[in-house]
Amino acid sequence: MPHKSSIIWLQGLTCNGNSHSFLNYAYMPSFAASFDMLYHPLWCGAEDFMSLLRSDETFDFLILEGALSHDERLIQRFNLPFYEILDTLAARAKYIICAGSCASFGGVFRLRDPEKITGALFSGKEKGGYWLERNNVINISGCPVHPRWLVETLLALHNGEKVLLDEFLRPKEVFSYLAHHGCLRNEYFEWKVDSKQLGQKEGCLFYDHGCLGPMSHANCNKILWNDVSSKTRAGSPCLGCTEFDFPRLALYETQKNMSLPQTPFGISKRAYYTLAGVAKSFKIERLEKKLIDEDN
Amino acid sequence: MKITKEIIQRIEGEATLELEWEKEQVSFAKIKFFNYRGIEEILKKRPLLDALALTPKVCGICSHSHAIASVLAIEECFKSAGESLHVNQKAKDIREIALNAEKIQNHIKWYFFTILPELKRVSDPTYKGNAFKEKQWFQAQRAIMDSLKMGAHFTGQWPHGSFVMAGGVTCDPLRSDLISAHGCLDAVIAFCEEHFYGMSLEEFLSFDSALQVMSVPSALSFGIDEMLKHGFDRLGRSFDRFLALGESFMYEGSLKASKTTVLGADVKYVHESLDHTFFADKNSGYTYSKSAMYKKSFCEVGPLSRLMVAKEPLMRDFHRRFKDAALTRVVARAVECAHLLWRTKALLQSIDLKEASLIPPKKEIHGLSGEGVGVIEAPRGSLIHHVVVHQGIIESYDIITPTVWNLGNGDKQNPSTAQKALIGLNSFTKADFVLKSFDVCSVCTTQ
Repeated sequence: MPHKSSIIWLQGLTCNGNSHSFLNYAYMPSFAASFDMLYHPLWCGAEDFMSLLRSDETFDFLILEGALSHDERLIQRFNLPFYEILDTLAARAKYIICAGSCASFGGVFRLRDPEKITGALFSGKEKGGYWLERNNVINISGCPVHPRWLVETLLALHNGEKVLLDEFLRPKEVFSYLAHHGCLRNEYFEWKVDSKQLGQKEGCLFYDHGCLGPMSHANCNKILWNDVSSKTRAGSPCLGCTEFDFPRLALYETQKNMSLPQTPFGISKRAYYTLAGVAKSFKIERLEKKLIDEDN
Repeated sequence: MKITKEIIQRIEGEATLELEWEKEQVSFAKIKFFNYRGIEEILKKRPLLDALALTPKVCGICSHSHAIASVLAIEECFKSAGESLHVNQKAKDIREIALNAEKIQNHIKWYFFTILPELKRVSDPTYKGNAFKEKQWFQAQRAIMDSLKMGAHFTGQWPHGSFVMAGGVTCDPLRSDLISAHGCLDAVIAFCEEHFYGMSLEEFLSFDSALQVMSVPSALSFGIDEMLKHGFDRLGRSFDRFLALGESFMYEGSLKASKTTVLGADVKYVHESLDHTFFADKNSGYTYSKSAMYKKSFCEVGPLSRLMVAKEPLMRDFHRRFKDAALTRVVARAVECAHLLWRTKALLQSIDLKEASLIPPKKEIHGLSGEGVGVIEAPRGSLIHHVVVHQGIIESYDIITPTVWNLGNGDKQNPSTAQKALIGLNSFTKADFVLKSFDVCSVCTTQ
């Protein structure tokens, strides 16, 4: 009988979106063959929560969903202040996995009170969240977390493999990509063809509709959501939900300076605007027309 | 008087049920929710369209519902400012398909992940259950996944897709998307036929008698048998007063049913109460959940309400036999799921892809001032978004969720729908199940 890793799933200030996203994992029986879910708030786990809390046994993964706070007026679980539960369990967990942007950076709910509501090790991009330091935390940001990001990280650790992390403690296998990679509108981006309006297959959403694909770290358009699509494929701008500053203000507007949009990640402004000017001058007829032209 | 406090687990979030006992019976109940996030506050001073992306974060299990309620509210803002937007039938159909996918997954998830294990626990209090050891759990999970994959062809993702926009939807699907979505839907139907109903969908939908459902072996008839065994055909009855404020393919307009009389309902009679909340009084309040009332009365919302106002024959028969008992409420979700599967199949077949997905407003959104109300039927019942906007910036945003209708807190003289259903029960186990029969969502309740 192969060894199974044990998981306790704990919810902070959350919408439960990460739990429900996890339930979209396509190969759940395979996942369950390697893991025991000792406790999950939404469905029956192997153990009773209070017995787990009172036990002194160690376990492998504490999965955190939701923003965290030491303020018991903001969050309680089981009629106990949340910090009591979290601190007790964290001390016995081999790894702490932050599932989603709330647990990683504070996310949407941090906006209400950034002093009191934070992620585990970060408050936005600043280091020092619920904990000042801890060396066993992995952030898998996203609003919500993609089920594959979570499962594949857990499986790698279960198999004893090293998971390389970026500066925000996110697995590089996922977060070295940009949401832009694999976007079906990439050619429009290359030749600077704007999407004239939402609701159409054609055009890039970067210039006028607030799309943050070129500056958001995530492989959404590589592995897709629900196995079939993504925000940009469904004609909606990337909201940058994997980044520490999510959600920024005016999500459907492109921030512009002197009517020029932000430059994509890692590219110098001057070079980019020069190149963009050249690209835009081409006026490629094919890209100005409907993708499927019914007249021909 | 004895008072007990128990944590309600395995709902969306967590609640505490404080029960007052007299002569071994529940004489009053307080339903308490302790976690608060403040989405309504977070939305203030933000550009109007941010609501489309942020209100779905109210709830991970009905995020599309919030997105759609939000877009309807925004479209009404345009109307109040003098521009009536035209939303094409194609966009309306896509919104409905997305919403149906969300309801279908909710109903399957709730029945197989919550109700069945809870019924086993009622029979055997030592039963713990372990989802990862049950074959049926994995089969249900697959069906849930397929349902959401069906919807994701149009919404990009679930949860937290942002596929709606004032004037329509953002996606522009191809015929191949429809065919693929259809394949997903057929897989869900196959699961429901084999496991949930034990017969073809068509046959199930042709029934008008509870006995017909109960005679065929299935997860549903097993659940009904168990509920009968433990008396849930008589327990959990409330006011028998139903409300469905959002539109549906099953009835015309928004309606209210009392006993068997169905009347027009109007959102203007909705009233939100802060009684007993921390918002009204930090010290004497005991919950973050507000309460919603219609003409100062508590009404039940959700699938049972929708089917009652729609005069659905099978549900009417269940209701004739068992009134609004816990059993009837549970069965309603299964019956609604069947109608939604059938309806979605028809929508996928009839949708006209040639129409434009979106007709953008002419009015510049940055200068928009006005207010709007968006009302839809979410998985758990009527959901209302009310926004006031000034020069394109949100001044106030108010959300009334289904759970606030069903699980608010009234007084002994005027208890809420769930409180009324709990009074008179003789054990916590039964109270736990009756409360769960409302498909509790604490994250929506407290936002």
